Amino acid sequence: MINVRQKRRSYYALLLPAFIIYISIIIFPIIVSFGLSFTKWKQYKLVGFIGLSNYINILKDPVFQRAIWNNIQIMLVSVIGQIPLGLILAYLLYRKWVKGSKFFEMMIFLPITISSVVVALLWNRVFSPVGLYTSLIRQLTNNPDYVVTISESPKYAMIPILVVLLWQHTSLYMVIFLANLQRIPDSVFEAAVIDGAKESTIITKIVLPALSGVIFTSSVLAISGSLKSFDLVFAMTGGGPVNYTSVMALYLYQQTFTFANYGYGSAVSIIIVVLSVGLITLANRLYAKAQRKYE
Amino acid sequence: MKKSFLLLCVFLILSSSFVFAKGAQESSDSVTLTAYMQIDPADDQYRGHNEIMKVFAEKYPNIKIEVEYASGEAFHQKFQAMAASKQVPDLFTCYTGARSAYVNETGLVKDLKSLGKINDAYIAQYNDGTFAPQGANGEIWVIPPSFAVCHAVYANEAILTKLGLSYPKTFEEWKAQVPVIRAAGYYPVSMGNKDPWVVNSWLLSLFVDRCGGPEWFMNAARGKSGATFNDPQFVESIDIIKQMVDAQMFSPGVNQMSNGEADQEFYQQKSVYLVDAGWRTSAMDTQLSDEMKNAVSMNVFPEIKGEVTHNTSTSTPSEGFGISASLKDAKLDAAWTFIDFYCGAEGAAIRAKYGDVASYKLDANTVKMTTMQGKFANFQATHKMGYVFDSVMNGEGVTMLNNDLQEMMLGKGNGPKAIAAKYEAWVAANDTNRSL
Repeated sequence: MINVRQKRRSYYALLLPAFIIYISIIIFPIIVSFGLSFTKWKQYKLVGFIGLSNYINILKDPVFQRAIWNNIQIMLVSVIGQIPLGLILAYLLYRKWVKGSKFFEMMIFLPITISSVVVALLWNRVFSPVGLYTSLIRQLTNNPDYVVTISESPKYAMIPILVVLLWQHTSLYMVIFLANLQRIPDSVFEAAVIDGAKESTIITKIVLPALSGVIFTSSVLAISGSLKSFDLVFAMTGGGPVNYTSVMALYLYQQTFTFANYGYGSAVSIIIVVLSVGLITLANRLYAKAQRKYE
Repeated sequence: MKKSFLLLCVFLILSSSFVFAKGAQESSDSVTLTAYMQIDPADDQYRGHNEIMKVFAEKYPNIKIEVEYASGEAFHQKFQAMAASKQVPDLFTCYTGARSAYVNETGLVKDLKSLGKINDAYIAQYNDGTFAPQGANGEIWVIPPSFAVCHAVYANEAILTKLGLSYPKTFEEWKAQVPVIRAAGYYPVSMGNKDPWVVNSWLLSLFVDRCGGPEWFMNAARGKSGATFNDPQFVESIDIIKQMVDAQMFSPGVNQMSNGEADQEFYQQKSVYLVDAGWRTSAMDTQLSDEMKNAVSMNVFPEIKGEVTHNTSTSTPSEGFGISASLKDAKLDAAWTFIDFYCGAEGAAIRAKYGDVASYKLDANTVKMTTMQGKFANFQATHKMGYVFDSVMNGEGVTMLNNDLQEMMLGKGNGPKAIAAKYEAWVAANDTNRSL
C-alpha cells in the first residue's frame, strides 16, 4: 500500500526536473536581471553599483517615453481593435450569415500563419518609395515625387504598423471565439429566437456572458503580447525613422545588444515585467468586478 | 540485489563515456583548431571564402579547422557570451575597433605583432593602412583581408551624356545640375537612408574628412589640442547634408528607402547618381547588364569649397580573424599559417576571382577582375582614404547623431549647430575616446 507520504515524495520527484528547468531558465535570469539593473556597464566591463540611476534615466529618456506610448497604442489596437473585430468576424461566420464561410475563415486566418518578418517585408514592398502602391499613385496622379509620408510623421508613424498588426492578429482571436461559440448549444439560440429575442439581445445576454472568460483571457494575451512586440516592428521599420516607431522591446534590444549597456537594458526589462504584471492585475480586477455585476 | 546490479551497470556505462568523450587523441603531426566565423557559407558573397577553406585543407592536411558559422547580430550575441565565460575558440572573426571590444579590449585576442612575423618586408606586401594600429597600445588584432570603403558616388554616364552633363567638379556644380536632371524626368541622387547608420557612414564621414582632415578629427575624438565637435568643421559637415536636402538632390522618400531599394532605383535608371559604399560593386557585377556596367563610373563627392583634403573617400579595415590569446606552440603556428594563407597571396587571389578587392597587393596583370571590381580596385588605388566616423566613435553616440541627422533631413528637429552641440555634449560625457 502506498501511503500519502510516499505519494507526495513521488509527486515532488516527478516535478523536480521541470521545476529545476523553470528556476534556471525563468526565475534565475529574472533575479540576475533585477540585480544587473542597478549596475553600470561600459565597453563590456562592469563599472559598479549605481542604485536607481538606470531607472531614473530610462524614465527621463524621450526615446523610451515614445516607446511606451507606441506600446500603449499597440495595446489599444489589440484590446479595442483585434478582440472586438475577431468576435464580430467569429459571430458572422458562426451564424453563417456569409456564403462560403469556410473560404472566408481560411482567408482571414492566413495572415497569422505567415512569419511576421515576411509580413513586414510584403507590406514594405507595397508602400515603400519604390513599392507597388507608390508607383501606381505616381502614374495616376502624374506626380513622380509622391511618397507615403505617414511614416515620416512623429505623430502618425505608428499607423502603418498598427494596421498591419490588426490585419495579422485579428484572426487568432477570431479562431478562439469561433471555437468557444461552437460550445454554446444551438438550442439556446433557438429558444431565444422563439422567445422573440432580437439579435442585439442574443449578443448581449447570451453570447457575451458565455464568452466573458475567453474575452478576459484574450485581453490578457493581447496586453502581454503588446508589451513585448518586437519582430514586426523590427522588420518593418527598425524603430525608425528617428525612433518614431520604437517600442520597449526594441529599445531594450538596442541598449543591451547594440550598445552593451547591460545594466540599463536589464532595468528596461524589469520595467516591462512590472508594467505587464500591473496591467494584467488591473484587467483581472476589472473582470472580477464585471463578473460580480453579472452574477 | 537485482536493482543494485542494474544501477551499477548504468553507472559503469555512464562513467565510461567520460573517458571516451575526449575523442581520439591528436597525432603528433596534426593540429585541430576550433573557429567561430561571422560568415554565411550559403551566401554567394562568400564563395571566395568557401574556396579558400577547401584549398587550405588540401594544402595543409595536417591542420584541421572545425568551424562554427553564424551571421549578423547572432554571431555577436553568442560570441559575447563566450567571451564573458572566457571560452573563446582558437580562431574567430574579429573587428579592428569597438565592434569587437568585448574580446580585443578584454585580453582575449593575441597581438599578432608578438608572433614576430609582421616585419617591414611583410608589411610592404600589403596596401597602406592594413597594419595601422588597432589597439590602444598599437596592437594588431587582425590582418584585414580587405577594406570596407564607405563612400562612393556612382554615376550613370550614359544618362549624363544624354543630358549634356558630366560628373561635377564641385558641389556647387552638382547642385546646379539638379533642375536639369529633374526636368528630364530623373531623380538626381538615390541613397537608402532608412537604417540608423547610413548618412553618417556614407556622407558625414566624408564631409568630416574633407572639412576638417584626419588630424582634426582624431583630436576632436580625443578632445585634444582644443578640438571639439562644436568646431566649425563639424558644423559645416552637417550643414552640407542639409544643403543637399534643401537643393532636393535626393529622390523622394530617401529616409524610407532601404539600401536595396535605392540600388534598384539606380539600376532601373530612374536616378543619375547613387551614394553607396564600395562593396556594392560586387552586387553590380551580378545584377547589371554589361551595357550598364560600362556606363557606371565610380567617383567621390565633388570638391567642397574650403576643403582641407581633396579627392578623398573613407574606409575602414574589414573584419578579419583573431587568434585566442591563450594559444601557443603548434596550435599558434597553425593559426598563423591559416591567417597568412587567407589574407596573403593565395587567399587574396582566390577572393579576387569572386570580386573581392584584397588588402594584399596583387599583381593586377595576373588577376582577371570583373568590370566593376576593376573599377573598385582602381578607385582604391587613386583615392586617399579618411576615417569612417562610426568606426572611431562609440556606437551609442553615433546612433543618436544619425537620428538627429535623419530628423534634420526630414525637415524636423534641430539645425546643424544644435546637432553638433548635442553630440559634443554626449561625447564629452560618455565616449571612451575622450579617456584615451
